Amino acid sequence: MKSKLLIALLLILASSAVIAGKAEDQQIKSRQSAYGFAGWNLGKIKDQVVDHPDTYNKDQVIAAANAIAAVANSGLGALFGPGTDEGTGWAKTRLKPEFFQQPEEAKKLATDFNREANELAKVAAGGDAGAIKTQFAKLADTCKACHKSFKIKE
Amino acid sequence: MTFRIKVWDLPLRIFHWLLVAAVSAAFVTGELGGALQDWHGRIGVAVLGLLVFRLAWGLVGSHHARFSTFFPTPGRVRAYIKGEWQGHGHNPLGALSVLALLGVLATLVSTGLFANDDIAFEGPMVGLISKDLSDQVSYWHSLIFNVLAGLVVLHVAAITFYLKVKKTNLVLPMLTGEKRLPHPVPEHAKGAGLIGFILVAAMSGVVVWIVASGTLLHILQPAPVVPPAPTAAQNW
Repeated sequence: MKSKLLIALLLILASSAVIAGKAEDQQIKSRQSAYGFAGWNLGKIKDQVVDHPDTYNKDQVIAAANAIAAVANSGLGALFGPGTDEGTGWAKTRLKPEFFQQPEEAKKLATDFNREANELAKVAAGGDAGAIKTQFAKLADTCKACHKSFKIKE
Repeated sequence: MTFRIKVWDLPLRIFHWLLVAAVSAAFVTGELGGALQDWHGRIGVAVLGLLVFRLAWGLVGSHHARFSTFFPTPGRVRAYIKGEWQGHGHNPLGALSVLALLGVLATLVSTGLFANDDIAFEGPMVGLISKDLSDQVSYWHSLIFNVLAGLVVLHVAAITFYLKVKKTNLVLPMLTGEKRLPHPVPEHAKGAGLIGFILVAAMSGVVVWIVASGTLLHILQPAPVVPPAPTAAQNW
């Protein structure tokens, strides 16, 4: 009887651990999707204003910049809940634990990204390919800054 | 009385200092990343060209530039350690350092061709492998850089040691090409000369162009793998 109780208790504990892990994994999966989607749009803008300016298509660049801004404005911070420096979404997360030890810095870097992403959407609407290229570079720098501080290289 | 002898030919010296400049620039642009990442990629391809040049120059260049002249065979290393080595170009330990530097740089450049920065930069050969593998290669690329940094520190430390302790300036010959010796030495064999230099430089240029223009990628894998922008047919 006692051993059955113990097994039941262990099962509950184990499954609650799995469920708890699931919530983190879902956040990780969602944010990996968000950044992957933003990356696709960033790639399109780079292709059309940096690598092959002759293919510049104003509407497509606007659409891509708006998509990145939408990702930035979606409240990504909610996907960085406590404990999400461990877990697996589409792949094992590469968030450094330092992210949670330096919340001010994390907030600053995230806010930088949001600001430059919204600025890119504004500049894209203007249709000046040169200005878009400059703003694209500023946005890419905010990506790099955060990767450098809080993304594991591997 | 001192006698001047020519040790480093002009193309070799130009190669050396261009490599110093390119590697420094690659270091800075790679560390800063972001918008400068494109320049990191371009400089990396330039380093590839320099390495191809050095490889060819090691076969057809002047006496001391040739690998056959300074290749650190066990016998040569042993002689050097015993103090019996008598040469004027790379000594056997220096030669080991040269080969290590060239080898590590070649590994860095080759991994860089397949690397990405997880933002909007991809090396010119990324299309040949999966994103996962490219991520892995990018990690190796950053690890191997540490080996290069260590070798560069060793290189500079050895030069400083020669200058301060052995009272031998190794930097000056790399600028002027000449070494001063207390005794005359027989004239060394001539190297490839101007025509050879032009041919080797042109070959390196072609390699750079093939890689940078994506021609090689098109030959190996004609279909693009980058997720495309919407086309007219699927414009929704």
